[in-house]
Amino acid sequence: MEWNDVQRTIIVEKMEKVASTIIIIGTFLWLFSVIALEGRWQWQMFSALVLTIGIFTAHFWEELRDTDSTEGTEGSEGSGDE
Amino acid sequence: MARERVTQADEWQAWAQRYDIEGGIRTFESGLTVKVFIGALFVGLLMMPGSIYLSYVSGESGAGAAPWVAVILFTELARRSFTTARRQELYMLLGLTGAAVGSGMQYRSFIWYAYFINTPQAASYEIADKIPAWIVPAGDSVGVLTRTLLHPDWMLPIAIYLAGKLLGTLRSVSAQYILFRLTADLERLPYPMAPITAQGATALAETTGKEETWRWRVFSIGSMAGLIWGFLYIGVPSLTGVMMSQPIQILKIPWIDFTQSIEGFAPTGVFAFRTDFGQMLFGFVLPFPIVMTEFLTAMASQFILNPQILYRFEILHQWKPGLDVRAVGLFNGLDFWMSYGMGKSFSLALVGMAASIPMLFKLRKSKKTAGERGSIATPPNRGDFPIWLMGLLWFVGMGGFVWLIHWMVPNFPLSFLLGFAFLYTPLNSYITARTFGVLGRDLFDIPYLHEITFVLSRYEEIDIWFAPLPDEDYGRGTQSWRVLELTGTTFTSNLAGTLLIMPILIVSGIVVMHFIWKIAPIPSAQYPFAQMMWPINATNECLWKTSLRDGNSQMLQAIRGDYVSAGFTSSLAIYGMLWVFKLPSMWFYGIIGGIGADPGSMIARLLGAIIGRFYMIKRFGMKRWYMFNPVLAAGFACGVGLIGMGTVAIALVSKAVIVKPF
Repeated sequence: MEWNDVQRTIIVEKMEKVASTIIIIGTFLWLFSVIALEGRWQWQMFSALVLTIGIFTAHFWEELRDTDSTEGTEGSEGSGDE
Repeated sequence: MARERVTQADEWQAWAQRYDIEGGIRTFESGLTVKVFIGALFVGLLMMPGSIYLSYVSGESGAGAAPWVAVILFTELARRSFTTARRQELYMLLGLTGAAVGSGMQYRSFIWYAYFINTPQAASYEIADKIPAWIVPAGDSVGVLTRTLLHPDWMLPIAIYLAGKLLGTLRSVSAQYILFRLTADLERLPYPMAPITAQGATALAETTGKEETWRWRVFSIGSMAGLIWGFLYIGVPSLTGVMMSQPIQILKIPWIDFTQSIEGFAPTGVFAFRTDFGQMLFGFVLPFPIVMTEFLTAMASQFILNPQILYRFEILHQWKPGLDVRAVGLFNGLDFWMSYGMGKSFSLALVGMAASIPMLFKLRKSKKTAGERGSIATPPNRGDFPIWLMGLLWFVGMGGFVWLIHWMVPNFPLSFLLGFAFLYTPLNSYITARTFGVLGRDLFDIPYLHEITFVLSRYEEIDIWFAPLPDEDYGRGTQSWRVLELTGTTFTSNLAGTLLIMPILIVSGIVVMHFIWKIAPIPSAQYPFAQMMWPINATNECLWKTSLRDGNSQMLQAIRGDYVSAGFTSSLAIYGMLWVFKLPSMWFYGIIGGIGADPGSMIARLLGAIIGRFYMIKRFGMKRWYMFNPVLAAGFACGVGLIGMGTVAIALVSKAVIVKPF
């Protein structure tokens, strides 16, 4: 395995946890701004910025993982209401 | 055991496959023939009056249902001529007839402003005499008082409208196509409502062949259900309206209001049971997780969030006991939900971008083929256009439109017009394209952005409120491109048909609207929906249009930055937390659709979803049910359309007869 592939694997493995952590921090920050800071828009928008970073990270992770995963998982059933 | 993460890519792909019931394998053919063109024109123009009439009676134009009548007539003619009709032809017939039926509605705003200019509201807010002549002639002009559109008084409004229409066609075709490529080709959003039209056309095309399949049987069952329901819901009020001054409504149109009944335990909550059970069919078709989460969220909004939190903390402060659904909705909107709704709309755009941008980054490296998520490649022979050409056409159309508006309101800052045209419109259209791709309907209108802009521009003339601003939404139209794909109709043939029929419809639409207006004043007892809704719409419009004048308007105060931020951030938090807990992203769209909404308007849809999920899928199996339900819904729409057109025809004939006193 080349060095780039090793780096990529590590990034993909860590990225999901990083995205989750950022989103959780953003959510708590928003709750805090509503409950303790009288819902001031500046603090809420700061929370939104944190959440936006988390959501973008999450989707970049999904695309990276999609590249790494085997093609057999493409289009598989198993989501939704089954 | 940890829940396995299903990425949004897999989730959407699975739903897209479920709705693409022929497995994505199809060949493309032209649907435009001479017989289709003439047939569409003939039947469409016959049905246009009924469609306009229905919209004023029940609030539903029936323009979506009426074309089925044309298709059935066409297939019957084909069978009797020992020939066959291709599904491409039938879909083209549906589209062209739909355009013909809907062509009268394009002049709807003329009738609205002819009413508005003479309302007590317009007079009391002192704007009746300030409405510009390019919108409507003066309130005491012959064209308005005698209810006639075929009068020189209307020449300027009609000329302005036509110029806008030509530029609008250029913009809408090109923008819809680009958005379709993004949402359907690249993202593979499922477009759950598209197969209804596609399968209806396929079912009817099969009847002209030698063998009839399950489609025709299912379509017939749906049609009979639609006939019965249409008779009860539309037929009885329309027919009794001919004979009596007050029409009989078996089920009250459009809803039965329980808002006052729940105010004891849920003050500020609204609950108006929407009586249109045709919505059940949409419940069959729509993704179950969306319908369910939407309803549960709406219930929580009206029974917990509104009364227990927002009312208790005096955020909803204008509510008083004894108000009906419309008044409570208006006050709640002004107090909180209008601002919140704006915020959540923007979150939807951001979520869409978050899903799309990583895919665009990957496109360069992608080796995916057409039909796979993340690929922008087109299927062969679909009749695609170069994206750069469509982009250029859109810029030309939008540039011309901005120039026209600048000519109409020369003192309004051009920068705001450019902002609407080149920032807001693409954003709004993208949001709607995604909601159609996922929910099959327009979840978000972002109606207050241009009003806010007027406020910010400090432009004090009233004429800007009447100008046709470039705040447009092309997202809705992307679904029709998906239907073209599902029916195997080439895009080029559809475009040619649209351009050929347009000049004829421009002329015929205005003539028919003129005659409808001549029958009775709009609104009046003959048009119950208009009579119920138009006065409150007039009040709303006056509130908006005067919001700059005193600098202290209700609307101006209603838009609060902290509530907009709450809508935006809470929606992002919901989306993010669903992702963290590995829950389906479908839930997000349901929650966002349901929050602040009236659960009473969703009951029929919920009932359909539950029956579909817990009975029909078990009875027929998932694959067969997903094959059946779009055909069933198409049949139902056809049945309702037949009844609507029949009863409206009787009503129109009876009102055209002059009873002499001897």
